[in-house]
Amino acid sequence: MQPVNRMKTEFLSKSANESFARVVAASFVAQADPSIDILADIRTAVSEAVTNSVIHGYEEKEGVITMECILYQDHVEIIIEDFGKGIPDIEQARTPLFTTRPDLERSGMGFTVMETFMDSLEVESTPGKGTKIRMTKQLVSR
Amino acid sequence: MDVRFKRDGAALIAMIEGEIDHHSSRILKERIDSKFIMEPVKDMIMDLSRVTFMDSAGIGLIMGRMKKVSSVGGKMSIRNPRPEIMKMLKMSNIESLIKLDA
Repeated sequence: MQPVNRMKTEFLSKSANESFARVVAASFVAQADPSIDILADIRTAVSEAVTNSVIHGYEEKEGVITMECILYQDHVEIIIEDFGKGIPDIEQARTPLFTTRPDLERSGMGFTVMETFMDSLEVESTPGKGTKIRMTKQLVSR
Repeated sequence: MDVRFKRDGAALIAMIEGEIDHHSSRILKERIDSKFIMEPVKDMIMDLSRVTFMDSAGIGLIMGRMKKVSSVGGKMSIRNPRPEIMKMLKMSNIESLIKLDA
């Protein structure tokens, strides 16, 4: 399948960039004219993925996060990658309500939100190397 | 993001405005908790009518405040969430724990 459009951006793992990332992703996807609900789902999923990199990947220290959005005729693929500490047990991390940071009042819902709000979610992670999240969402035209 | 407060009898009303994510929830948490300690209240009403975005950090924020309020024997409720944040509230099953006035 031939992409219609593509963009890639890179930013520091600062919590202020959580809103930057979701606004940028939504603006890029908006050119496909999806519904408001689809855009809201994408914003939420991007926010969760970037927050995971900030809190868990880099443990709130400085690092680099990249976000790539590939737009196809009927769907978008969003790839969010960090080069932080990685996830030792992906299955456990994806379990609803599981969190390693209850001290931060994390709900343990991050991956569950990404799974629920997007159509697919793949997680690749190597401890010590980083984590790559690949999500897709159908963009049903109005 | 901003939060304004009103008191209604024994309840502190926290009116949150803007977006709730991990970044903003840290500031919101501090401001709400210090107000809750200062005021002669035991219940809390979170008014979400002006919240335009909320991810799972908002669930953490609500659950954390609920624990604080419960620990002093108070009741916590949520008021007026917009449709765009209802999906998050519903999937978190928060309605089974906290009174929701839509």
